[in-house]
Amino acid sequence: MNKLKSEEITKNIFLHTFKENKFKTNLINFYFKRPLNKEEVTYNAILPMVLQRGTNVYKTSKDLVKKLEHLYGAHISGGVTKKGERQIIRFSMSIANENYVDDSNVLYEGLELLNDIITNPILNNGVFLNDYVNQEKENLKNKIKGRSNDKMKYAVDKCVEIMCENENYGIYEYGNIHDLQKITSESLYNHYRKVINNSELDVVVVGNTDHDKIKEILLEILDINISNPTSTEYRIEEVIPTKIKEVEDEMEVNQGKLTLGYRTNIPYYDNLYPALMVYSNVLGGGANCKLFRKVREEYSLCYYIFSRLEKYKSLMLISSGIEIENFNKAKDVIKKQLIEIEKGNITDKEMDYAKKNIVNSIKQLKDTPHDLAEYIYGQIISKSIEPLEKLIDKIESIKTEQVIEVSKNIKLDTIYFITNKR
Amino acid sequence: MDIIEYENKLINERVYEKKLSNGLKIFYMPKQGYTKQYAMFATNYGSNDLKFKSNSSNTMYNTPKGAAHFLEHKMFEEPEGNSFDRFANRGANVNAYTNFNTTAYYFTSTDSFYENLTDLINFVQSPYFTEENVEKEKGIIAQEIKMYDDNPDWKVYFNLLKAMYNDHTVKNEIAGTVESINKITKDDLYNCYNTFYNPSNMAVFIVGNLDKDKIFKTIEDAFKSISKNQDSIIIEKYYPDESESINKNIIEESMSVSSPLFYVGYKDTDLKLTGNKLLGKEIELRLLLDILFGKSSELFEILYNKGLVDDSFGGEYSGGINYGHCIIGGKSKEPKTVLNIINDYIDRKLETGLMKENFERIQKKQIGQCLNQLDSIEFVGSSFISYLFKDINFLEYIDVLNNITFEKVEKRFKNSFKGEKQVLSIIK
Repeated sequence: MNKLKSEEITKNIFLHTFKENKFKTNLINFYFKRPLNKEEVTYNAILPMVLQRGTNVYKTSKDLVKKLEHLYGAHISGGVTKKGERQIIRFSMSIANENYVDDSNVLYEGLELLNDIITNPILNNGVFLNDYVNQEKENLKNKIKGRSNDKMKYAVDKCVEIMCENENYGIYEYGNIHDLQKITSESLYNHYRKVINNSELDVVVVGNTDHDKIKEILLEILDINISNPTSTEYRIEEVIPTKIKEVEDEMEVNQGKLTLGYRTNIPYYDNLYPALMVYSNVLGGGANCKLFRKVREEYSLCYYIFSRLEKYKSLMLISSGIEIENFNKAKDVIKKQLIEIEKGNITDKEMDYAKKNIVNSIKQLKDTPHDLAEYIYGQIISKSIEPLEKLIDKIESIKTEQVIEVSKNIKLDTIYFITNKR
Repeated sequence: MDIIEYENKLINERVYEKKLSNGLKIFYMPKQGYTKQYAMFATNYGSNDLKFKSNSSNTMYNTPKGAAHFLEHKMFEEPEGNSFDRFANRGANVNAYTNFNTTAYYFTSTDSFYENLTDLINFVQSPYFTEENVEKEKGIIAQEIKMYDDNPDWKVYFNLLKAMYNDHTVKNEIAGTVESINKITKDDLYNCYNTFYNPSNMAVFIVGNLDKDKIFKTIEDAFKSISKNQDSIIIEKYYPDESESINKNIIEESMSVSSPLFYVGYKDTDLKLTGNKLLGKEIELRLLLDILFGKSSELFEILYNKGLVDDSFGGEYSGGINYGHCIIGGKSKEPKTVLNIINDYIDRKLETGLMKENFERIQKKQIGQCLNQLDSIEFVGSSFISYLFKDINFLEYIDVLNNITFEKVEKRFKNSFKGEKQVLSIIK
C-alpha cells in the first residue's frame, strides 16, 4: 500500500495514515489491543461507554455532543470487537475535511476532543463518577440481554459460542451480566489506568490529510505514556471435532434460523488461506455460489444463505433462515454442497466468479474510509502489511486443486438452530 | 439531445443529464479517484403503487400487495439461467431493492463498466415470467417476509404506519403478505411491467471515474437493440383518499425482545408539495427533530439520565408526495412514561419557543453529515434517484439546508406535533 505511512511516533504509539484526497471527511480510529479473556472482557466493554459520558472540559454527554455538533457534526463512537482471541477497544471519529467547511481548525479541535475523551475523564475522588458508571452498567446490561433481539445475528454468534465454549474465542465481546454487577467506579478506574498505560495503541487515519500534520498534532496533544504493553499473543490451535454438537433453542420466531459452524484449521498466515477465501466464496459467496443456487434457487428453501470466515480463529459459518419443518432437508442440501467441492465438482466458471467477486471487493475497499481503516488495522494485527495488489495476485493465482485441498481440512463442529416454541 | 450540466461548487460535485428520445433520463456524476463504478436503473414504481391505469391499455389495474417487490425478484430471471452470471463473469455485484416509491436495480464494478451497463439495461428491459417460475419464487419471498416478521425494528415501524394510516398503501409491508403474494400471477407481473418499466417512467444514475459520452452512447445503443415498443407512456396512479386523522392511537405487539421498542409518530398533513418546496419541508423537519429530540437536546438528557432511553433514541422524518410522518423512538423499559414526558416537553417548548443557537449548531451538524454521506457512492445513488422521482435534484440538498432559516423551523414547529395526529407503536 504505497499511500500508507506507518510510524512509531512515540514509544509504543503507532500512527498509520492513508492519504486519499477524494474524501470529504477524515476518519481517525484509535485501537487499543487487549487479550480476550473472562477477567477483563466486561471491563473493556463498559470502558468506552463511561469515557464518552464526560471529560474535565466537557463534563456531560450533552456538552460533548454540543461540541461535536459545532465541529460540523463530527461523529465519535467507541466500542469493542474481537479479532481472534483479542479484544479491541476502538474509538472512532469521523470529521468534515476543512476544505469543505468554514473552519480551518476543525481537525485540530476534533483530535483535541477525542484525546480529551480517552485521556481526561471527569473524576470524583480519583475515580469515575458513580452516576455515570451506574447508568452505563444498566445500559450494558440491557445490551447484553438484548442480544437475542436480532435473531439472524444471534444465531451465528451463539453457534460460535457453543463451538468455542472451552476457548477464549467463545467469550461474548460485550461481557456478561454476572461480572458487570461487580464493577465499581474504583475497579473500573483501575482497569482504565491499565488499559491506557499498558496496551498496544494504533492510530489509523484515512482522509485528505498529511501524515506529518497528524503526527505533529498527536505529539502535541496526546496525553498517553505506554510502557510494557500487555501481550495479546495467542496460539491458533488445530481443533478436530470428535463429535458434532447439535443444539436447538426455542424462541418466539416465525422462521427457523440455522447456523452450521465449521473448523477450517487453516490459520490466516497459512499459504492456503487465500484458497480458503475462494472456497468459502464458491460455497456461499454471492448469487452464483453453490448454496444460493441450490438451497434458494433450486429448492426455494430460503431467502438468505451465506458462508463467512472468522479470519483470526479459523472458523467458517454458514447461516440461513428456513421454514422450521425444513430443518433436515436444508441441512442435508447444505452439507451436500461441501461434499460436492470435496469431490472436485467445481466448474471453471464457479472458480472464476468466486475469484472475481473477491478481487472486486478488495478493490472497492479503497473507496470507503471505514472499510479501508479496518483493513489496514487487520493487516497490522496480522503483522503483514502488504499492498492490496499483492493479495489480489494471490487470489487470482488460486487453482481448483488448492480449493479441493482446503476442503479436506473443513470439519463440521456445531449445528445450531433457533426453532419456535411448540 | 443536449446534455445539461449541474454544478455545486460548495461540495465540488457535478452531474450531467441527458434525456433520450424514449423519455429515459440519464444522470452521470463523475467521482475522481474512485475505483468503484456504480450504475442504478430505477423505475418510479414501488410498493405503494397498487392501483393504476395508463394510456397504452386504458385498463384499470388493481394488483395484490407486494407486486412491485415480486416483480423485482423476477426481473433477474431469463430463459437460460439468470442475469447474475454475466455480472459475476466480470466480478461485478448486481442487486436490487424495492421501497414505497421506487424499484431500483444496480451494480458495482471495478472493471468492464460499459459491458455491465449494457447488461443492466438489457435485463431490466427483458421480462421473462412463466407460470412455473412465478410459482417457484413464492417460497423464497415467503421466507423473506418471515425474516422481516422476526425483525422487531421492522415490526415496530410498520405497526406505527398501520396505526397512522387508515387507507393509504404506505401502511402495507413492502413485500406484501404470504397470502397476498400467493395471489400474484404471471399476468399481474406483465401488467405492472408494461406500465412502469417504460423508459419514460425510469431513470439511470451513474457514479464513477468514467467517460460521459461513452456512458450516454452505451445506453442509447442498448435501447436501439431492444426491439419493443418504446413509445412514452402516461401513467395515472390511484391512492385511496387518506383522511387527515389517524387510524388508531396505539398498536402494541408482543415479540421475543428483552426490552420494549417504541416509536411515537406524528402524521404530516402538509402534503402535495414537490420539488424544492418538498425538500425544504423535509429539511426543516429534520432540523426540528434533531433540535428537539437529538443527543444534545434537553429531552434526551432527561430521559437518558433517568434510564428511560439509551443512545438509540432519536427522531427522523420520512415521506413522499402524498404522505409523510415524523417518528421519534428507540428502546425503553417504559414507553408510555416516555410518551408522557415527550408530550409535556413539547407543550413546554411550544410555550418557551426554540433557541436560535441550537438551530445554528444543528444546522452545522447536518451540513457535516451531508458531506459525510457524499463519501458513500451507494448513498448518493439511492438518494439521487429517490429525490429525482420527487422532482428534487439531490445536488442542491446542501444549498437548501444552508438556506433554511430559524424562522422557518419555528413556524414548522407550531404545526407539526398536534396531539390528535400522534400515534404510538410498541413491541414488548
